[in-house]
Amino acid sequence: MAQKNDPVPEPMVARDATYHRAPDALRERVRVSLAKAAGEERRPSMGRMFGLVAAFATVALVSWSIAVFHMEPLRDDLIARDVVTAHVRSLMGEHRLNDVESTDQHTVKPWFSGKLDFAPPVQDRANAGFALSGGRLDYVNGRAVAALTYRSRQHVVNLFEWPSSAPDSAPATLTRQGYAILRWHRDGMEHWAVSDMSPALLAPLAE
Amino acid sequence: MTRLARFEKSVLPHLDAAYNLARWLTRNDHDAEDVVQEACLRAFRFYEGMHGADARPWLLAIVRNTGYTWLEKNRPSDLVTLDDAGAVSSESESAGHEAPAESNPEVILLQSANRKLVNLALEELPVGFREVVVMREIEDLSYKEIAVIAHIPIGTVMSRLARGREMLRRLIEIRMRKAS
Repeated sequence: MAQKNDPVPEPMVARDATYHRAPDALRERVRVSLAKAAGEERRPSMGRMFGLVAAFATVALVSWSIAVFHMEPLRDDLIARDVVTAHVRSLMGEHRLNDVESTDQHTVKPWFSGKLDFAPPVQDRANAGFALSGGRLDYVNGRAVAALTYRSRQHVVNLFEWPSSAPDSAPATLTRQGYAILRWHRDGMEHWAVSDMSPALLAPLAE
Repeated sequence: MTRLARFEKSVLPHLDAAYNLARWLTRNDHDAEDVVQEACLRAFRFYEGMHGADARPWLLAIVRNTGYTWLEKNRPSDLVTLDDAGAVSSESESAGHEAPAESNPEVILLQSANRKLVNLALEELPVGFREVVVMREIEDLSYKEIAVIAHIPIGTVMSRLARGREMLRRLIEIRMRKAS
């Protein structure tokens, strides 16, 4: 009876229960089976296949990037050829240079409306030494573009403009067949100017 | 470092914890070893899924899943459905943690008797209570960690812990009476 009324002590699991430690044999067994599993992984498996696919994708991506990197100059070369051809042809005979002849940008710009699917920026750059002389339609880079013409001293300048999604870029100078070419992007427009003047004298047109 | 080397460095130090939980789940050395080996292989397979989390609770969750799968297959009668409807008991959390007893022979004898009693009683607990008591009391995991490992809300961890301790006390009481 006395036993029955004795308070049973709070079980002290933390102190009295056994902490079963991993036997060394188990430790060894786990290591062996892990090494085996790791070895199997090195054989062709889903993970391995994924690695191969990833490797191929990387090679493809790198090749593509290199191609694109090299294509950009190629594109510039083709356009440079187009603008030089258009420039030379525009000077080959009478009335080939301008379809609208005016030094007034407010006359030249409206002339393009209805002829192109964009509104080319037209500026008289007389203060920079480039007097507007008119404009025409031309065909560059596989599309109809606006061609603006300027006179600077005795030189004629053709400025080709068309829309582009490329970000704004600073003017870059090229020369082809002795012609100076100036290329820049601004406000969603690509600009290519070409003339037989020196590149240094042409540069202010883009400012 | 290879994947295996990283795994061995971060996960294998918790092999004791893994074995302890497996041993308390299966109540058998041999079965516990099988569960731990299986769990380690699974853990290695899903190692990327750890994402730098604390390795011990992560490994223990896998050990528990493996252990439960093993129980379902070999001792389905161990897996009784627990009624968690009971409210969280108001038992105080800190109860029962006393200073270690001194080392006179009588006390040591009593202690070893206590150990046997506690171990037997703990093994008798339904596994759902047993695992929570083991993880909290022996493995010293937080309520939150236990909740994540056992897939139960923290409130359920607390109520199972309280009820587990209460059942443990009763089981020990019954054994003491039988012995006297």
